[in-house]
Amino acid sequence: MRKKKWLNTSLAVITAVSLLLAGCSSNNNDGGSKTNTNANDSTDGNAVDNTDPVTFSYFGFGTNIDVMASETTIGKILQEQTGVDWKMEYVVGDPSTKAGVMIAGGEYPDVISPVGELSKLLNAGAYIPLNDLIEKHGPNIKRVYGEYMDKITHEDGNIYILPFTANVGGYLNDPDAGSNIWIQRRVLKEFGYPEVKTLDQYFDLIVKYQEKYPSVDGKETVGFVTFAGEQGQFYTITNAPMHLAGYPNDGNVLVDMETHEAKLYMATEHEKRWLKKLNEMNAKGLVDPETFTANGDQFKAKLTSGRVLGFVGYIWQMADAMNNLKTAGNDDLRYVSLPIVFDESITDAYMDPPSFVNNRGLGISVSAKDPVRIIKYWDNLLKEENQRLVQWGEEGVTYSVNEEGRFIMSAEQLANRNDNEFKRKYGWAYFDYEWPRYGDNSVYEDGNAHLPARQPEVANVNYTDGDRELLNAYGIETFSGFFAQPVERPWYPAWSIEKEQGSPEQIFNQKAGDLQQKFYPKLVFATEAQFESVWNDYLAEFGKLDAAGFEKFMTDKVKARIAGVW
Amino acid sequence: MSKTKSKRYSSMGDQIFDVCNYIFMFVLILFTLYPFINMLALAFNDANDSIKGHIYLWPRDWTIQNFQYVFSESNIFFATFISAARTIVGTVISVFCTAMLAYTISRSEYALKKFVSITFIFTMYFSGGLIPSYLLIKELNMLNSFWVYIIPGIIGVFNMIVIRSFIEGLPEGIMESAKMDGAGDFITFVRIVLPLTVPALATVSLFVAVYQWNSWFDVFLYNSSRPHLSTLQYELMKILSTSNTTASAADAFANAQGNKTVVTPTSIRATMTIVASVPIIMVYPFLQKYFVKGMVVGGVKG
Amino acid sequence: MEKHAVQLRGSTADDSRLRAFFKVLSRQKMLMLMSLPFLAWVIVFKYVPLWGWTIAFQKYKLARDLFDQTWVGLDNFAFLFREEQFYLVLRNTLVMSSVNLVLGFVTAILLALLLNELRRVYFKRTVQTISYLPHFISWVVAANIVQTALAPEGIFNVLLLQLNIIDKPVLWLGVGEYFWGILGATEVWKNVGWNTIIYLAAITTIDPTQYEAAEIDGASRLQRMWHITLPGIKPVIVILLIMNLGHILESGFEPQYLLGNGMNVEYSENLDIFVLKYGIQMNNFGLATAAGMFKTVVSFIFLIVANNLAKRLGESRLY
Repeated sequence: MRKKKWLNTSLAVITAVSLLLAGCSSNNNDGGSKTNTNANDSTDGNAVDNTDPVTFSYFGFGTNIDVMASETTIGKILQEQTGVDWKMEYVVGDPSTKAGVMIAGGEYPDVISPVGELSKLLNAGAYIPLNDLIEKHGPNIKRVYGEYMDKITHEDGNIYILPFTANVGGYLNDPDAGSNIWIQRRVLKEFGYPEVKTLDQYFDLIVKYQEKYPSVDGKETVGFVTFAGEQGQFYTITNAPMHLAGYPNDGNVLVDMETHEAKLYMATEHEKRWLKKLNEMNAKGLVDPETFTANGDQFKAKLTSGRVLGFVGYIWQMADAMNNLKTAGNDDLRYVSLPIVFDESITDAYMDPPSFVNNRGLGISVSAKDPVRIIKYWDNLLKEENQRLVQWGEEGVTYSVNEEGRFIMSAEQLANRNDNEFKRKYGWAYFDYEWPRYGDNSVYEDGNAHLPARQPEVANVNYTDGDRELLNAYGIETFSGFFAQPVERPWYPAWSIEKEQGSPEQIFNQKAGDLQQKFYPKLVFATEAQFESVWNDYLAEFGKLDAAGFEKFMTDKVKARIAGVW
Repeated sequence: MSKTKSKRYSSMGDQIFDVCNYIFMFVLILFTLYPFINMLALAFNDANDSIKGHIYLWPRDWTIQNFQYVFSESNIFFATFISAARTIVGTVISVFCTAMLAYTISRSEYALKKFVSITFIFTMYFSGGLIPSYLLIKELNMLNSFWVYIIPGIIGVFNMIVIRSFIEGLPEGIMESAKMDGAGDFITFVRIVLPLTVPALATVSLFVAVYQWNSWFDVFLYNSSRPHLSTLQYELMKILSTSNTTASAADAFANAQGNKTVVTPTSIRATMTIVASVPIIMVYPFLQKYFVKGMVVGGVKG
Repeated sequence: MEKHAVQLRGSTADDSRLRAFFKVLSRQKMLMLMSLPFLAWVIVFKYVPLWGWTIAFQKYKLARDLFDQTWVGLDNFAFLFREEQFYLVLRNTLVMSSVNLVLGFVTAILLALLLNELRRVYFKRTVQTISYLPHFISWVVAANIVQTALAPEGIFNVLLLQLNIIDKPVLWLGVGEYFWGILGATEVWKNVGWNTIIYLAAITTIDPTQYEAAEIDGASRLQRMWHITLPGIKPVIVILLIMNLGHILESGFEPQYLLGNGMNVEYSENLDIFVLKYGIQMNNFGLATAAGMFKTVVSFIFLIVANNLAKRLGESRLY
């Protein structure tokens, strides 16, 4: 009893004190609040479009520097069209914590791009359904997302977010597509640019080269290294068997093209073959001992030293190192990724099949004051001319059109398009991705690529002499010429299948990953005689997990996707 | 002073001891100065060049670009002001309050001594979690205010214990005589206890000041959409998190090699370390003189 | 009848004791005024949020009221205690925090004693300032420096090779058994200067006449350190020791996470990393909260035992 009273009085005291303090400080806060006075006027539907100035708030769970949209060229142009400005904010620190706090507080920005936090925000009811708004105010939204309606409609029949991958007008592959198995160009050059298709051929080349040149500039060459030393990057090495077996990145399963069964490749012959090969290479002294311990900086330092002959890694893990080598100017020391598979008979699947990622997108929150205005803004953004604006910029300024009507960029324009600082100033950094948009593989009505990087003419400007020499030697136009054309996989990508929090599938994923992390180094560094017994230990541990249950879960989800339930 | 003194000790053993001690200190300096020098070298080295690694004591490719990048964030100067404000205000208030509380629980006659002590000490070992704390701050209407930096951390339990043990180390007679002169507890605390526990207060001030200066998580939680309440560390965190956008999947050009790499997380982190730690390190000598003294000067005489 | 009388007597005794208690309190108005506002503060800011512990008994979903949550009883605790991995990470946690505790205390006290023996004040201050610099380096940076130094071609291997202590480079972070030692050394390197500060402050309170007396008695430097300085700071040492024993399950998170890798994971993964993987990353807040409660219980046990031990040994106590 006494305690309770205590609690009450103390609460009262503290509340009073804090109210006082909050009162003092709130005077300072007015400057930051939104200018939103005209919002009410625009709710009356289809009348003349309201272009009164208004500022909405945008929150992205990706990383970027906060900005007022009107401070960028693109944002300014769009503001002139619509009257809408955006206060754009991005997460700092842990996105998951931020989402939790946002939900607990119950107050949201007007629009949210949830990135990895979608399921949390959906469960919390943070988004409003967009169906009616699209129906009434979104002719362009309907045009762009029309054929994806079943994929963007949630189980309850509502649309909550507009994803970023709705392709329009055809399907254009990335001219600079790559794989995750890389070789140094001087190795190819040394042996007259041979065809390299299988894992055996790949390692044979490296072995031969290293025998011939055991050291460069007094330092030993490093045969092969993987980026598996940093926490959270271990998938670099565990994904390899999937690619080598001729499957695209579906996460930890291979999905059969006919039966649509999802099968784990962990603890299968595929994985064993990969590890056995690494084990053999280690016995030959080819595998860098630091392959499981080097952190990102150390890995990049190795690559830029030019001593590494081959490695496994995805481009987004070491783009800056590849850049560094490019600017260093010695094309022989640069790398190229190749369509490596296990056997000649396998067709590689490194190029992403047409895919629709439906768990990334932009939605309107329940706190939004004027959803109609926002939807109209989005609809305007999806006009083809504005889509061109957010990717190419303004004609004559950031790109030009040649006689054949093709969009081209000069070297300087391209450098600007790739320069982070320029991208922020111009607004590409803010408008070219996390908004309702044409998918990356889209083609405009006039046949030009939606993404400058997908336009072969532009890709070509980016090539160095060494690039051209290499491409000529293999008789291809662009780097994607190395790879087989992707095959339609209506469920792709299976990695985006949502697993419920704390569910057996999630726990399986975690445990399987832990197990791989523990056993891969042992298997690679085992003596050849030990390999089998370590492998059997691995199998025994793996046997304790409910692999069948996980496979069933994934198979069901894949089949559901094929049936149109996303 | 030290010279004349050192002549007085001159036994063989003491001399050997001194030599060993100095050698040890130089080794210590070598080890503990290195990271800072390394950060300086990286901060002044071209980011693109730093990818190649092997930068230890001196920059290989001099530049001030990293600093320019960090200082181009327009809000950073005002954020530094907020950081300084919270450091000063937070330290003064917290140290005073903590010392006052420490004084009460150092009084053996205080009837609630044990109850208060235990109530506070236990809080060092549990936490209700992030969400309940956030909701509390929200309920108390402290979101988006400067005071959210000060009030929730007003008492540091660890610091309270430290000060208490210093007060308990004071000769009992001092406080008794103050009482005899008719001074109440508050007067005794302010006039007698505070001046006599300066080394402890300086130590605790340092702890609180460093904590306040380095905090960014409370900004992230409570004030993230209020640029005018942002702190230096939070702005630096922002800059850091955007320095690797090249690596983000959202970047449509992730596949296009040839991006001009202006900054990398490694270079920015080094620059951040310098920018954030130099001011607080410069304050240090002012506090340090209170707890690192020549041997004779310190101490309490009854 | 008799029973009743006893009760009556008991209650009057209680009553009078209570009255005496309040009488004392009323005399200590000032002390109460100086402490009770903070008591209110601690209850609001530290005890009220403890309602969050209810999450440990739920399959917690954000943005739902307490009453709409799914209650799962002790399931989250059961998951924890049934998990084989839990015992491995518990072992790692206990070992690492014990190593850190012992090394941390011994090195900081030793450094404080040695610094105190330096006679040139400016040198003393300079050394002390430099020694605490690594404290201002984030763990990401510190871990990177350690990884670089311990690489096969890093300075550590180069040095050992030169001195013929090893005949080929050792992959220090690739051998699980070395991890605890590496972590302990890293923690010392990063924090020894910082941890010393409090002992230096304690040393200033030692009565200088004691040193003068010892000098006259012809005590050597080591003797003075042992017989004057160390006993002078003993109360602080004991108090800190008790407090830190309560943190026995807090072995840190960042250094283990950053220095950990597939090859040393069986030694590097601790409770906090486990909770990150199976709780926080899976949005399984129930499990994370249950783990937190478990830590608190263990903390209290260590705290109370240590405090009682100190009491029995006649040392200074925490409460």
